[in-house]
Amino acid sequence: MHTASVLASFFMKHFFPVLKTSTKFFFVLIVFMMFLPAGCAKKGDNDTAKIRFVTWKPNQPAVWDEIIDIFETEHPGIRVVRETGPHSSTAFHDLLTQKLKNKSSDVDVFFMDVIWPSEFAAAGWAMPLDDLFPDNEQQKFLKGPLLANTYDDKIYGIPLFIDSGMLFYRKDLLEKYGLNPPETWEDLVHIAQQIVSGEAKYGSDINGFSGQFKQYEGLVCNMLEYILSNNGYILNPNSGEPGLSEQPAIEAMGFVRNKIIRNIAPEGVLTYEEPESIALFIQGKAVFHRNWPYAWEVSNNPQRSKIAGNVGITKLPHFKGGKSHATLGGWQLGISNYSQNKDAAWTFVQFLTSERIQKLLTLKAGLAPTRKVLYGDADILDKYPQFSEMKNVFLTAYPRPRSPLYPSISNILQRFFSKVISDPDSRIEDEARMASLEIKKVLSLIQ
Amino acid sequence: MARVSFLFKERLFAVTLIVPCFLFVSVFAFYPILYSFYLSLHRIILSLPGLEQLFIGLENYEQLLNDPFAMQSLINTIIFVFVSTFFEILFGLAIALVINRYFRGRGIVRAAVLIPWAIPTVVASQMWRFIFNDNYGLLNFSLFGADTALYRAWLADPLFAFAAIVIADVWKTSSFSALIILAGLQIIPDEIYEAAKIDGANAWQRFIKITLPLIKPALLVALLFRTMDAFRVFDVVFVMTQGGPADSTNVLQFYGYKKIFAEGLMGYGSTISVLVFLITFIISLVYIRTIGTRLFQESS
Repeated sequence: MHTASVLASFFMKHFFPVLKTSTKFFFVLIVFMMFLPAGCAKKGDNDTAKIRFVTWKPNQPAVWDEIIDIFETEHPGIRVVRETGPHSSTAFHDLLTQKLKNKSSDVDVFFMDVIWPSEFAAAGWAMPLDDLFPDNEQQKFLKGPLLANTYDDKIYGIPLFIDSGMLFYRKDLLEKYGLNPPETWEDLVHIAQQIVSGEAKYGSDINGFSGQFKQYEGLVCNMLEYILSNNGYILNPNSGEPGLSEQPAIEAMGFVRNKIIRNIAPEGVLTYEEPESIALFIQGKAVFHRNWPYAWEVSNNPQRSKIAGNVGITKLPHFKGGKSHATLGGWQLGISNYSQNKDAAWTFVQFLTSERIQKLLTLKAGLAPTRKVLYGDADILDKYPQFSEMKNVFLTAYPRPRSPLYPSISNILQRFFSKVISDPDSRIEDEARMASLEIKKVLSLIQ
Repeated sequence: MARVSFLFKERLFAVTLIVPCFLFVSVFAFYPILYSFYLSLHRIILSLPGLEQLFIGLENYEQLLNDPFAMQSLINTIIFVFVSTFFEILFGLAIALVINRYFRGRGIVRAAVLIPWAIPTVVASQMWRFIFNDNYGLLNFSLFGADTALYRAWLADPLFAFAAIVIADVWKTSSFSALIILAGLQIIPDEIYEAAKIDGANAWQRFIKITLPLIKPALLVALLFRTMDAFRVFDVVFVMTQGGPADSTNVLQFYGYKKIFAEGLMGYGSTISVLVFLITFIISLVYIRTIGTRLFQESS
């Protein structure tokens, strides 16, 4: 044991010489304390119904405090306890599903990302809301988000606000060259090339396009927009079969690989999520930029953006013969099947998704509402004139494949898309066939 | 009589000392390993609770062997282990030889060598991600200066992205190997070198004939630690590439993480964990049997 003991004493002597035995003991104590379960205190009051609302840390906490205050004043019998989860959608998903999996009665109302309702419905976590949320009420909402909340013809969540892919562009540069925002992807490539080569004469190293093409969920969102706008699809809406190896999808992917990336977009987009891609745009280094609506605020903020005031926003282009498609994002409110206070929970959800509160959220937090009527609201349009244009984008916003096994499908798609766009020698047809097989394997679990 | 009670007391004392450690290992090592194995024999899909927790025997293992992505990530992991361990030992040896010599400021250099190892891997990986960034990365700047037209997107290239995670890992853990090898160097008595010098051995001969054989135990310990650790690589990949581009940096641990936490496939994901455990276990057994016995025999 000679060598081993020499090693140990060597470490202690040379690298932790200052620690006395008592200090070491103290460290051990700390480690043990970390494993002790935190004591839980429980308060019980009988008159008021308490609903637990699992939410994330909002960007504008003050608005949310205000909203909860209004609710509690108007409904003295109900108290809202907020449980704040992580900001990242994936981490929030892990926390929430953990609670629901354990059939915890600690959850009454929760937020759902737009890709979760199918999973939550199939797992029996979210309660169907059809009786409370009838057709005539549904008519008042945008169609895309409602579709995302529907599983097996039942609705499991009420959309609160919406996100969708949009095209941002340099208004100043397009005007300088006397060009209009592009209608088709081919136009976008031509305009980008024209401006990039024109600007190069002044020594500018501007790029044509920036988007999100790293191997992650955002890649699926981006690729879907190309494939759908070429009349392709990932899952055939009628047969439910994967459509990746069909001609429209293959063409669209080939276009991204050869005409977008390595042509008007730098190769670096293969490593970009939203923050990196918007950084390129707001530093004035890209003519076009694909992102979610929040990019409007960021790129027009003079403190963060070099191009504030020179940004235009429009719907995403399409291929010739196709229609624009924006990938749908956004957050919904669901009610847990294990809730003890379903009536109070519904009162709260109804309140949050009401016209009045959505308007407040839009005005104070910049979130895009899901009620159609608000896109004609004078106060909102006064503050956010771009919302009248955004409505058209939101009307075409299309959900990602709806399946309780969406996370598995997404992982297959991320791997596949990343392969065909980052490896120019890969054969798209072969890879598509393989990915389709994998997706079929996953889907077969549901039957 | 007194002797018996003394022995008994000794034993009791020994048991009291061992029990807390044994409990700790049971709760934090044995239980999770056994439970993972138990889970790996079931089909558990979090989003499809209607399927129940079905016992399916070794079906998950069969599926794993036929999963081309799992096998590709296994190959990636093996290449990662070989390349990174090789360079870590090589650089570790070089660093150890340098800081074993007497020179002014040696204390500072020794402390500096420790820095990469002391930085949390997540922070170090984030730093390397910045270094390899296509627009403002240090690597592009040092290679091409202000000529931004030549800037390359290093992490966008499947081959280089893999090299990048190896580089980050080697940078981070070479100093760990250096520490262990340094400990080995410290126990070589100076007299042997003096005797060799008198016999006319040059520096290279002294290194080959004296240093290397004598630090072999330390080298092997470093090798053992690094191989097992490299096999479980996760954080570098998680921070720098998320397995991309084109799945080129997808390693087994990251693949398993995705299966369990993103896809909710508890059974299948556990199968991958068990595979990683078995492989590291076998590696350590092989090391301990072939070198461990010799290592401990020759020193006792």
